[in-house]
Amino acid sequence: MALDTRGFAVPDATPSQKPESPVESPLQEEERRSRVAAPGWLKILWQNRKSRVGLALLAIFAILAIFAPVIAPYGPHDTQFFPSEQPSSAHWLGTTQAGEDILSQLIWGARTSLLVGLFAGFFSTVIGLVIGMIAGYAGGWIDDILSFFINLALVIPTLPLMITLSAYSQITGIAFIIFVISVTGWGWGARVKRSQIITLRERDYITASLFAGDSMVRIVFREIMPNMMSLVVASFIGAAGAAIGSEAGLAFLGLGDPMTVSWGTMLNWANNSGAMLTGQWAWLVAPGLALALLITSLTLINFGVDAISNPHLREE
Amino acid sequence: MAGSPPNPPASAGPQPVFAVRDLDVTYLTKYRPPFQAVKKATLEIAPGEIVGLVGESGSGKSTLGNAAIHLIEPPGTITGGSVLFDGQDITRYTEDQMRPLRWKEIATVFQSSMNSLNPVINIERQFQDAIQAHTGMSDAECRTRIAELLEMVTIDPSFMRFFPHELSGGMKQRVAIALALALDPTFVLLDEPTTGLDVVVQKSILRNLKEIQRTHGFSVLFISHDLGAIMEIADRVIVMYNGELVDTQPTSHLLTANLHPYSRSLLNAYRELWGVPPDATTSAMVDAVASHQDVPVTTVDAHVPGEEAIAPTDHAVAAEESDLERRKRDRRRAGVAGSGEVVLDVRDIVKTYTRRRGFTSTTVDAVQHVSFRLERGKITALVGQSGSGKSTIGRLVTGVERADSGAVTFTDSQAKRMVDVGALKGRALKNYRRHAQLVFQDPYSALNPAHTIAHSLMRPLRNYRKMGAGQARAEAMAMLEQVGLTPADRFIDKYPHQVSGGQRQRVVVARALAPQPEILIADEPTSMLDVSIRAEILELLNDLVRDHNLAMLYITHDLLSARILSDEILVLNKGRVVESGIAEQVIEDPQDDYTELLLASIPNPFAPAASPAD
Repeated sequence: MALDTRGFAVPDATPSQKPESPVESPLQEEERRSRVAAPGWLKILWQNRKSRVGLALLAIFAILAIFAPVIAPYGPHDTQFFPSEQPSSAHWLGTTQAGEDILSQLIWGARTSLLVGLFAGFFSTVIGLVIGMIAGYAGGWIDDILSFFINLALVIPTLPLMITLSAYSQITGIAFIIFVISVTGWGWGARVKRSQIITLRERDYITASLFAGDSMVRIVFREIMPNMMSLVVASFIGAAGAAIGSEAGLAFLGLGDPMTVSWGTMLNWANNSGAMLTGQWAWLVAPGLALALLITSLTLINFGVDAISNPHLREE
Repeated sequence: MAGSPPNPPASAGPQPVFAVRDLDVTYLTKYRPPFQAVKKATLEIAPGEIVGLVGESGSGKSTLGNAAIHLIEPPGTITGGSVLFDGQDITRYTEDQMRPLRWKEIATVFQSSMNSLNPVINIERQFQDAIQAHTGMSDAECRTRIAELLEMVTIDPSFMRFFPHELSGGMKQRVAIALALALDPTFVLLDEPTTGLDVVVQKSILRNLKEIQRTHGFSVLFISHDLGAIMEIADRVIVMYNGELVDTQPTSHLLTANLHPYSRSLLNAYRELWGVPPDATTSAMVDAVASHQDVPVTTVDAHVPGEEAIAPTDHAVAAEESDLERRKRDRRRAGVAGSGEVVLDVRDIVKTYTRRRGFTSTTVDAVQHVSFRLERGKITALVGQSGSGKSTIGRLVTGVERADSGAVTFTDSQAKRMVDVGALKGRALKNYRRHAQLVFQDPYSALNPAHTIAHSLMRPLRNYRKMGAGQARAEAMAMLEQVGLTPADRFIDKYPHQVSGGQRQRVVVARALAPQPEILIADEPTSMLDVSIRAEILELLNDLVRDHNLAMLYITHDLLSARILSDEILVLNKGRVVESGIAEQVIEDPQDDYTELLLASIPNPFAPAASPAD
């Protein structure tokens, strides 16, 4: 009773409703100051232990990706070294069959993964958002048609579709990979947002917006969406993780862009050159572990995002 | 007599069953300063006694109740004091030690506990679970016991096989009460057991509960925000304000005792609703409070806790002023309401809902042949129980739904034409809504939690009155001042959760006024608010109708507020108008049985017979 846990996007819920006194309580005062200092959502993310670990991990990967030219000891395509070397002080993770430094490739590979995660995650979230929100809010025949496409996106097996698209396309390159992942990966996001908006559109404040003369697009994106922001963020992070996985999968199957270094292509090369047989464990394990850690970090951050939307999950 | 409110009554009688001593409950969170919800609460409950605990939302009464029976969960923490049950301090008990006591000795009915019934098992199983967890009863014995219990709460035992969703709200609540009593507990905590039910159902449940209590002799702590309900059932009333117990009085003395200023203002808020003048003995006090705001602190009791927080002007003066306002309104009524300019004409509307279930379809006649007119400067009240069709009429009038037959006609005085509301679509409907605005029931859900008050107020201004951002903001400030939120710059950039319930409702009213409508439809605008704020909101609505010469449709289940606010009352029962007429006339001389039933069901603390304590 003393904790008012309504408000969805509300970063800080004040404990209990105050009696009607115009005097601002110290609590409200404190809250306002904190709002200025750091955005409330970031504070909640940081308060959650799991998401703090996730944020730290992600930050490490981001630093690796951004400063790859500085951090990596050699160029990723630099083939001047002795091939198939075991880890040594010069080459911490050894070298590839073509004589490239594996550690440098790993560091440059973070760029590809993060880039794909960011953009493919973003585009598939946007597609899912627009289709799901409009379907859920409009209802009726608009919903029927859009839901048909959502279901279509859900039932078509994604991996074969991605493989087909990339195998038959004339263009290659990272942008195309992002496109393929975006158009195949928005189904779940749309479905989740559609069901969420169906519960939100019945709220009184949405009826109030109708009475205030707002248009449908405005109501959907300006009135409703801010209240499901944590869901949008969560689904973006989920989609980013899935996109990173998909890119690695495609690259591992040899359908990626051979010119870009990514963890997936590294695995592909390692596999093709029989790294397992030659005992070059680092070549196999390093990119796999990096992938696992990156996706784990995103999942951990999502625990914190949950806490934003549901105050009961906050670690207070 | 001069109050020693927070002290427990001298208990010369039997050993109390349940005693709370100096209990402190604090919400301890890592990142915010601790919030003490209950401060040094001390209360005793004798065997067979019903004690009522009344307070506003946020006063800490539910926290106190939960802490008392060892149900408080982190971040809530008991930071001091003790709770004695049968002489044992249960605050130190572990969960395992508590378990044998629960239900068998200490039972509880939670707030909206009708939703606490498990939806996937039938009523019989719900009872069986509880009974067999504590006793070795066989299924057959159990069944006879359940039948007894259901009969006790006046439900036919054949309902045992039904699932919760097949029962009405009132029935579910009765089942929840029967369930709490299944093992003959010695102490029962009832936390708002009738909130959310309409008055007729509430009345019968309270009466029923009292009877059962008389025969079984258990003790009850009855928590409610509704003083009327509490005075109807309790032997002793404890008033809670801001985490402190400020008054403890036998119910029969409550009206005459020398009370804490907060309790007095609460009582006066009720008097207001009943149209009873503030009691002569206390009105002198209230006057004192009104004229010297600090007086009660020193004169009533130097040790009254929390008086500085009360800022008594808010409550005590409001009660006094609104009484004046009422007279003012009476004067106004004579002058303005005669203009007779019809803004909305509702003629013979019918609305039927068809529900298909399996192979059969049932029809519900939500509205049957209802006609009325809304006139400028006049307030028309639609009164009825839940399910009477009053909200459906609200939806028909605003064009959210369409009537099956009959007509809703709006007279657009600016465009000089008649508009058939039922036929409106798209842009035309939007234009109509500019003229017919809605005040919502629940101020907590009517404002978008993601936007500031400024945003909520500026949208209608920008959409309908085509104002620019700067102009709309200035106008929004003016609107806030108009609904009594002054100074406006203190409120305009706040988020809804940063202001209180009453203030939110004022914002909702301001937003409805923003497009300069001609019709205001208020659907239970005060039912979610604390009693002390209700009168203020009603006053506000009343003044706005007068100042803007609006027509207002006031939808409510509460005949009393309809009487003090409206000029005309229509009483609805099962979609039909059973009675209509001048407000005072309908209340004072009801012609229809149903109106009488509604009136009789409202807990009246001021009726001569209302002293259940003896």
